[in-house]
Amino acid sequence: MDLQYTPEQTEFRAEVHAWMASHAPKFHNLPSLESRVGYDAHVAWERELATGNWGMVTWPEKYGGRDLDLIRWLIFEEEYYRADAPARANQNGIFLLGPTIMEFGTGEQKERFLPPMAGGEIVWCQGWSEPDAGSDMAAIRSKAIRDGDHYVITGQKTWSSRAAYADWCFGLFRTDPASQRHKGLSFILMPLNTPGITVRPIRQLHGDTGFAEIFFDEVRVPVENRIAAEGEGWNVAMATAGFERGLMLRSPARFQRTAQRLVDLFRAHPNPAPGLRDTVTKSWMDAEAYALNTYLVASTIEAGGRIGAEASMNKIFWSELDRRMHRAAVSLLGAAAELRADPAITAWLDGYIFSLAGPIYAGSNEIQRNIVAERVLGLPR
Amino acid sequence: MDFRFSEAQTALRDSVRAYLDDAHPPALLRRLDRDGPDPSIWRGLAKMGLPAALVPEAAGGLGLTLVEGALIAAELGRANLGDLLADTALIAAPWLAHHGDTGALADIAAGTRRIALAHKINPWIADLDQADAVLTAAGLVPPPSTKTRLESVDPLRRLFTPLSIAHADDLLLNLAALMTAAQMLGATERMLAMATDYAKTRKQFGQPIGAFQAIKHLLANVAERLEFARPVVWHAAYALHHGHPHAPTHVSHAKLAATDAAMLAAETAIQVHGAMGYTYEVDLHYWMKRTWALAGAWGDQNFHQQRVDQAIIGGLLPIGPGTTFSSEDQHA
Repeated sequence: MDLQYTPEQTEFRAEVHAWMASHAPKFHNLPSLESRVGYDAHVAWERELATGNWGMVTWPEKYGGRDLDLIRWLIFEEEYYRADAPARANQNGIFLLGPTIMEFGTGEQKERFLPPMAGGEIVWCQGWSEPDAGSDMAAIRSKAIRDGDHYVITGQKTWSSRAAYADWCFGLFRTDPASQRHKGLSFILMPLNTPGITVRPIRQLHGDTGFAEIFFDEVRVPVENRIAAEGEGWNVAMATAGFERGLMLRSPARFQRTAQRLVDLFRAHPNPAPGLRDTVTKSWMDAEAYALNTYLVASTIEAGGRIGAEASMNKIFWSELDRRMHRAAVSLLGAAAELRADPAITAWLDGYIFSLAGPIYAGSNEIQRNIVAERVLGLPR
Repeated sequence: MDFRFSEAQTALRDSVRAYLDDAHPPALLRRLDRDGPDPSIWRGLAKMGLPAALVPEAAGGLGLTLVEGALIAAELGRANLGDLLADTALIAAPWLAHHGDTGALADIAAGTRRIALAHKINPWIADLDQADAVLTAAGLVPPPSTKTRLESVDPLRRLFTPLSIAHADDLLLNLAALMTAAQMLGATERMLAMATDYAKTRKQFGQPIGAFQAIKHLLANVAERLEFARPVVWHAAYALHHGHPHAPTHVSHAKLAATDAAMLAAETAIQVHGAMGYTYEVDLHYWMKRTWALAGAWGDQNFHQQRVDQAIIGGLLPIGPGTTFSSEDQHA
């Protein structure tokens, strides 16, 4: 155990810090990523990141990355959030699909899909959930029927984050119509402007349209857009979900930044309730615990280990921490919290609203608790 | 930067665990409860070389760090070992090494001196009747000639007065709070394992109760709390060993996180055991009672939460992304 940064790691931190300090401020306080104008501004930031070669630092250089280890990715994220840089418009791509293609894709697929992903040129959305396949994802019914060197896709996906504005979609489709449950599914990618695709944005809790329904009406997709073998989709999707729940989707720096801002908010209050004082202190402790655990996991993966079902605990932990912190902030703001006037106050309320989605997306926390109980503790299914 | 334990560290943990599984099973706890202390336990631990673990090599010890100490402490908590091993080998030894008391250290390494700890923060001294000396802020003193036994909620804890301590000692407090936190990690693991095993075997409505989501989620919550308490304790051990200026805050965080996990584990474990958990017959109660005792020992929630509060709300500790490991704060 060595909990000190090497000189090279410290130097890297300084490099990220300097770049962010000169580039991120222009992109502060962008409109919501879930509005047209906000989406475009966030994509412009993705392209700005690419000019500094910061799209996804852990990827190989030939795919637009910097070939760095996960510890350096954590350092990058820390400096990213210190600089209050914007949310990543392409998080579905860089954090979920990217690692999936890296693990399961062919060399040709890697060359085709990864560089434009790192460069922010193609923004991805995910197509997993269906109206009758939410927590029970194996109930997927959307079909992809083989016709020569194409699949013909018919069905419906929903709750597809970023689909209102994104360029491409990845998802799970039933390639064997006679199959049941986890078998006979395949992982397929396609542009959202393919003929036969209709995207219908869904208005979200806060009023904007971030996610959408996607309807497929005999959509023809080349077979080479399939990741891994036909029928292997479930295993590929589970690995992707592991990335989502595990290390990548929510780096600890995000919550450390929120905890820090919450402490500042508390300090500025003239007469805060003692109960909120405890919540604020506990928020810092929990954000640190999450950071420490992430460094432990990153060290393990760097040494050749893997994230198992333990990843489900991460997702429970950060999503519930995020909700607690934002609720405390809204409580501290009191009567002012409901007013959409001051952007600094509105950011806390919007953050609270978004934090309510955390325990639902990427597999509800109830599903995560089942996974922990069954696969970590070995309780019967 | 590498947060993993080394192979030597995990091998140490595994060997201590294997020894205690064999030498210190739940049946032994029942016997100690009935018959009182058994000197053969200490002899076994001394034969294992455990008293020498944190004694510097120059004084005849193994020269291990507080990180290894915390790993050993977690195993003691898992086995519910009372006795003076943690107090002597994991707390008094590093305190004495810090103060350069080499004579006492050689005796500790040889397994011939057992040390009880006296500190203002506790209204008792544990295992004073077994101790050859008492460590106070002023150093080692002989045990008092007369002493009075106090009754603990934990039948396996032996607590005594009098205390005659003039002033508090921060290093002693931090070492002891750290090792107490580590013991509570081990106790949490054990209580979670006992409740999980019970949920797999106890049948109601024609199936193991562990198949019900209500039970699964209770136990998953304990696993989660434990998962995020562990690295906090290891980090605190590392920070205290390296003399980081903010190590006391990290130790308080560790004590709070481990206590939180252990209290939840105890409450969940009794709930999963149902009425059986409320009996003296099931082993679980020994770990629950140790948890309740340790929760208040070496700084209770009031004490440690206020220390963290002063550091965070009081602005003494730099916070935010990038500050986790940087008491040296790279670029403030």
